[in-house]
Amino acid sequence: MTMELDDSVVSVHSLCKTYQLGEARVEVLKDLDLSVARGNFTAICGPSGSGKTTLLNIISGIDKPTSGQVIVLGQDLTIQDEDFLAEFRRDSVGFVFQSYNLVSTLTVAENVAFPMEWSRKPEAEIEKRVAELLETVGLQHRANHFPAQLSGGEQQRVAFARALANDPPLFLADEPTGNLDTKNGQKITQMLQMLKANGKTIIATTHDAQIIKLADQKVCLEDGRLASEDE
Amino acid sequence: MSETSFPVNDLLRRKLQTSLTVITLTLSVASTLFLLLFSERIGFGIASVTEDTLTYGLSVVFSQFILFVGILIFAVGAVITSFIVFLMMKQRTKDFGLIKAAGCPNGLVFGYFITELLMVTFSGCVLGVGLGFGADFAVSNIFDFQAHQKPPNLWLAPLVFAAFFALALIFGAKPMLYAARLSPIKALSPVQYFDLSTGHKFKPLSRFGLTLKMALRSLFRRQSASVRIIILLSIVFVLLTVSISGGIIANETTQSWIENAVGKDIIIIAHTSMVAQYKLLLSKFFGAKENGDFNYLDERLAIPSTVLQQLNSTPKIATVDARLILKEHVQEVSNFTIDPETLATIPVGDNREGDSLIVGVDPQKVTATWSIQGQFLNMDDGFEAVIGDSISHAMFSQPLFQSIRLQNWTFNIVGVCVDPINNGKITYIPIKKLQNLTSTSNPNIVLVKMEPSADRSATLAQIKDEITSGNSDLTVFELDKVLQENLSFLSSAWSTVMLLPFFTLTSATLCLIGYAMLAAEEQRQEFAILRATGAKPKAIIVILAIQSIVVLLSSFAVGISLGVITTLLILVPKPVVTSATVLEVAALLFTALAGMFLLSLYPAARLAKTSILKNMT
Repeated sequence: MTMELDDSVVSVHSLCKTYQLGEARVEVLKDLDLSVARGNFTAICGPSGSGKTTLLNIISGIDKPTSGQVIVLGQDLTIQDEDFLAEFRRDSVGFVFQSYNLVSTLTVAENVAFPMEWSRKPEAEIEKRVAELLETVGLQHRANHFPAQLSGGEQQRVAFARALANDPPLFLADEPTGNLDTKNGQKITQMLQMLKANGKTIIATTHDAQIIKLADQKVCLEDGRLASEDE
Repeated sequence: MSETSFPVNDLLRRKLQTSLTVITLTLSVASTLFLLLFSERIGFGIASVTEDTLTYGLSVVFSQFILFVGILIFAVGAVITSFIVFLMMKQRTKDFGLIKAAGCPNGLVFGYFITELLMVTFSGCVLGVGLGFGADFAVSNIFDFQAHQKPPNLWLAPLVFAAFFALALIFGAKPMLYAARLSPIKALSPVQYFDLSTGHKFKPLSRFGLTLKMALRSLFRRQSASVRIIILLSIVFVLLTVSISGGIIANETTQSWIENAVGKDIIIIAHTSMVAQYKLLLSKFFGAKENGDFNYLDERLAIPSTVLQQLNSTPKIATVDARLILKEHVQEVSNFTIDPETLATIPVGDNREGDSLIVGVDPQKVTATWSIQGQFLNMDDGFEAVIGDSISHAMFSQPLFQSIRLQNWTFNIVGVCVDPINNGKITYIPIKKLQNLTSTSNPNIVLVKMEPSADRSATLAQIKDEITSGNSDLTVFELDKVLQENLSFLSSAWSTVMLLPFFTLTSATLCLIGYAMLAAEEQRQEFAILRATGAKPKAIIVILAIQSIVVLLSSFAVGISLGVITTLLILVPKPVVTSATVLEVAALLFTALAGMFLLSLYPAARLAKTSILKNMT
């Protein structure tokens, strides 16, 4: 089902997410509403455990909400099957995880290439795009190394390149500078700036003041609820 | 945290991995113990059944088969156990590095993990021994092996426990010793864990066969894990091939020995009491007993020469095999050989004595073809003898270098044959010699084989008419019924033995599922990342299925080749392998392969169904 009611790329209504941890029931997101316009850069902040990562996982289609509606790029993700969500993640969303999540047995170039390989793009196109992306993130000299042979900052840049491989309209980043030093953090911020300039819709969870400064919209979560929203 | 509480808490925290390792270890120990107990019961059963039945040559085939399968079962169990603990401890290399990096001294970290290893191994081995005895008890009662009821051999329990416990400790400690030598940063790195090296030139995977290429890339990158599973499966397939093909080939070979020695579509013509005696001699193969002495040289048993003339002139009869049968006391004749190096004489044999059925035959006119070591009689009046396998084992050291004495005549032994008549306690010599020795001019039994083109019932009716019209005491009897009884007995003995491969396959499959789940666990995070970036769950199952097929087929090729060589060269002398046998063995092995493949998909399906977030963390 495709819904293009307004210019929102992400539209979340009455979103709830509950986890069962043994006997305990943990409510991570409580009746959350959020809207992100096309080309908008939204920074989501809030203390640890406030539900930032869970919100991002649900918007990306990696996780499903307990209740509520999640419409991303016109698709209601709550009613889609796993195959649809896989294609959606592959073509429409670029996701940068806080812990990088690179495949340890693949080289840097292979890590960047595999979302395109899943899309069954021609070999020549993949080769060209991988070279371009590695040049963009300044890691062309590390193409044949394994992730474990890279620094944290370098791994995060590979994760950025991978997230951009299929040129997705929506870019999600979960605390992209959370594990990095200032210098590497600045590089990541510059990349986000570049993406913003290219018109991508970006949602990033962060505590980083530099990134928050870049954002068009700042959303603060507290205890699973929307605490404040600044434009 | 105390030194002992850390390992316990750590194991409890890693519930899935710990329980998988303990369960797989338990299954491995239990199945090995159960199969050894079970094969010992079958071996004992066969031995107690064969004491007065079968022939020595056939008993040897049975016992060799059971012994070899027993050794392989132990080897498979040992390899599975070693690999399980190796995999478990290798997966902890990263944790080793983490704890070291946090400042814990090397010796203490090593102590933690060795304590964990000891706890897991001890639990698995103890549970395995208990489950093994339980399975043996249950199966013995369910299948009611009456011939094999004897208490289980309790010595096998400490033997299996000690061997597997030691193996688990050695193979489990190996990766830990290796991790202890690494710097924390190296221990933490997957490059170390997967033995990865740089220098792969980037080449994107083409659209054609993408999933296949992805599967192969992942398989070859994880070289050490792939090689481990291929070695393990190859040994399992050797065991399967030996037990399935060995069992079938041995069954068909021994059946063919009996069928050829007795002869197919044979008609016997003899005095009514001699026919009964001949049937009894053949039935001793499956336990029939003789009652008192039978006078083979009774004049009434002699077959008149006119009968032989009649038979020889009857159309459509291919062979008329006139025999003189009697029971006689025989003696081993010792001999000597010369050592080619020292030229010293070496004595061979002794002067052992015993009773044997003596069968005088015309070597050119025998209806049977034996499985024979050496050759059959050449001359129709030479001093040559062919002895049965049981008498050869009981009375001779190197029969083909020795002679056999019958009364005062000595016959050179030229061959040893497998023969069910009188359970292999038989000696064939030329009929002319036996007639001279006993001063008898007539045979006492005639075996007749018709031409293949003959109308069997018409020719049989003609023989009956011609023979019985003038000789009311003679009986014409078709031997096939007794042959079938012999073959059925042999078949039932093999069908009991063939339960061994069936249980072997079941236990090997259970162990493999455990191992496959541990191995899938190793790739859990990698697949979660692939799914998070766009791979469909089906693609993950296909990747794992392709990896499974590659691993299974590689192991299948190695295991089957080694298994077939072992079966044909070591286990079954002069094997009979017909195209039907090949098809039967191939069908069973491919069924086993397909079954293993389908079961190996279970961990893949489970992995694909689990949420991405759960797999990623």
